Amino acid sequence: MNFLRLFARNLREGPYTEAFPFAPAPTAKRFRGKIEFDAETCEGCRLCERVCPAGAIKMERTAEGMTFDCWHDTCVFCGNCEFHCPTKSIHQTADWHLAHRQEDKYRMVEHGLIPFQVCTECGSKGLATAPAAGSANPPLTAEEFQHVKSLCPKCRGKFMRARKTKAKA
Amino acid sequence: MSSQIAILIAVLLFPGGLFALALGLGLKGADRRIAARLQGRVGPPLVQPFLDLVKLAFKRTMVPTTAHDLVFLGAPLIGVVSMLVAAALVPISGVYSPAPALGNLLVLIYLLLVPAVVLMLAGSSSSSPYGAIGFSREMALMMAYEAPLVLIVAAVAVRTGMAQGHWVTFSLTEIVEYQRTHGLFLLDPVMWPAVAAFGFFYPANLGIVPFDIPEAETEVLEGPLLEYSGPALGLFKIMSALKAVVVIGLDIALFMPLPLDGVPAFLGWVVEMVVLMVAGVTVLRISMGRMRIDQAFVFFLRWPLLLAAASLAVVVV
Amino acid sequence: MSVIERLKTMATKSPWIYRINAGSCNGCDVEMATCALIPRYDVERLGCQYCGSPRHADIVLISGPLTRRVLDATLRVFDEIPDPKVTVAVGVCPISGGIFRESYAVLAPIDQYFPVDVNVPGCPPRPQAIIEGIAQAVQIWRERL
Repeated sequence: MNFLRLFARNLREGPYTEAFPFAPAPTAKRFRGKIEFDAETCEGCRLCERVCPAGAIKMERTAEGMTFDCWHDTCVFCGNCEFHCPTKSIHQTADWHLAHRQEDKYRMVEHGLIPFQVCTECGSKGLATAPAAGSANPPLTAEEFQHVKSLCPKCRGKFMRARKTKAKA
Repeated sequence: MSSQIAILIAVLLFPGGLFALALGLGLKGADRRIAARLQGRVGPPLVQPFLDLVKLAFKRTMVPTTAHDLVFLGAPLIGVVSMLVAAALVPISGVYSPAPALGNLLVLIYLLLVPAVVLMLAGSSSSSPYGAIGFSREMALMMAYEAPLVLIVAAVAVRTGMAQGHWVTFSLTEIVEYQRTHGLFLLDPVMWPAVAAFGFFYPANLGIVPFDIPEAETEVLEGPLLEYSGPALGLFKIMSALKAVVVIGLDIALFMPLPLDGVPAFLGWVVEMVVLMVAGVTVLRISMGRMRIDQAFVFFLRWPLLLAAASLAVVVV
Repeated sequence: MSVIERLKTMATKSPWIYRINAGSCNGCDVEMATCALIPRYDVERLGCQYCGSPRHADIVLISGPLTRRVLDATLRVFDEIPDPKVTVAVGVCPISGGIFRESYAVLAPIDQYFPVDVNVPGCPPRPQAIIEGIAQAVQIWRERL
């Protein structure tokens, strides 16, 4: 007769139902939802593309620069890309409002662009990626970071080697 | 002429027809809502069965190419008409008593058979294997629960008839009148087994868990109703709503007509309806699992039959 | 608003749902069952009801990447559903193939074979997302009635 106790409890305490379609639903802070991409801090290492199990992330060199595309309709929300991203430029939000009509199917994409820029030292064309600052010792200051960011890969290498020898001496 | 018009009104407006339909749909809505509350959910609005009917009216009716069209589409109509007449046969104590020309308890028992027969027709004419399974199960279940029903009705009829000095009476009006003056059968220990047997019979007749074996959604995909869609399915929903009113109304008339008059009697009758629906259908439905057809068959031929026979035997002796 | 329009609006409060599993891993199916069975989500409050027979359905939820083996059966079941109907693709598999994309055994995306109306991405989508998709499907259904 345990079920009668359950019935009495349910009647006494009222329904447990969320008000969801008529009010916002409670969402966990660490809920694995939609992917967000920040082109400013991206190094362009393409690790996310490699670790993505569903193949939702595509990074491509185009005429404007390097594009980042994450297709929400393919993404399985595993969080691998966020975990492996060295600069944490990929962030998984708690946003799960992804239901959409068929005509919006090919607009469900997180798009980012790392544009080409002209090197401030040598004048050649290179991607405006964030510098790989992880291995720099001592860590780059904010001004140094901005300076390195404005260089082409060749000049960046030159600058970092010079900085290393200076630090040793 | 005027008696014919009275009968027509009884069949189409009150207490059959529109009134019974509204009450039946209301009972179904209350059943769903209270079931949801007991399970800790909010549940659909009270008018949900009515909204379902409106929705079904907008849908297309599909007839399987291998089905027998006439029987397939005629079956639900027969069911609805039989239940409309049956609803006019059920007296409401102190408010309404059916005209003798319309029929008596025996006619009502025959009409109560019709929905089951209609479901069998529907299942067999749809040419679907699930419909055929539903057909055979409906047949077995019907045979099992009709036997106790006949004995219950016999017990009540003989009890009233002998008290009135003749052998048996099949007039529901007389049965109700007798209880109004001599006390309810519900309070008579001799009739308690029969009341209990009826308590087992009406969930089975209404086709709810644990006795919804012919229309089991998860096993035989609603059996006989599998191939129905749109308005034809709506007719079956109307039939089952009317059947709820008829069967529970019969329960009230046989065992517990309130000795009141006018508006209080009517309100009391509606309250009794809702209480019987909730106690006998809703609570049973959500606290039990479905029986197998062989279990249900043996169950009905054992306990309800025994209880009803006990009542009848005591009454006769 | 005419009577017919008002009745149509009433009709949309009773969407009956039918599920088709087109080779799904069962993750999405569990979430769909969750919508109806768990008191916390309770889609019956919106008038929804899961039905056993495709003939009774108004909204079809398709999950799974449509494996080659089930294509024929799925198309036949889909044709059994009377008009007007609305199709919802639940999970990333029917929308794009998701993790099974480019497999020789699956035919995703399913919009090559079915007239999909609403997509609910997620692997699996949470129950609230499915309810959101059903709400969008009901809007489309209202236009078709």
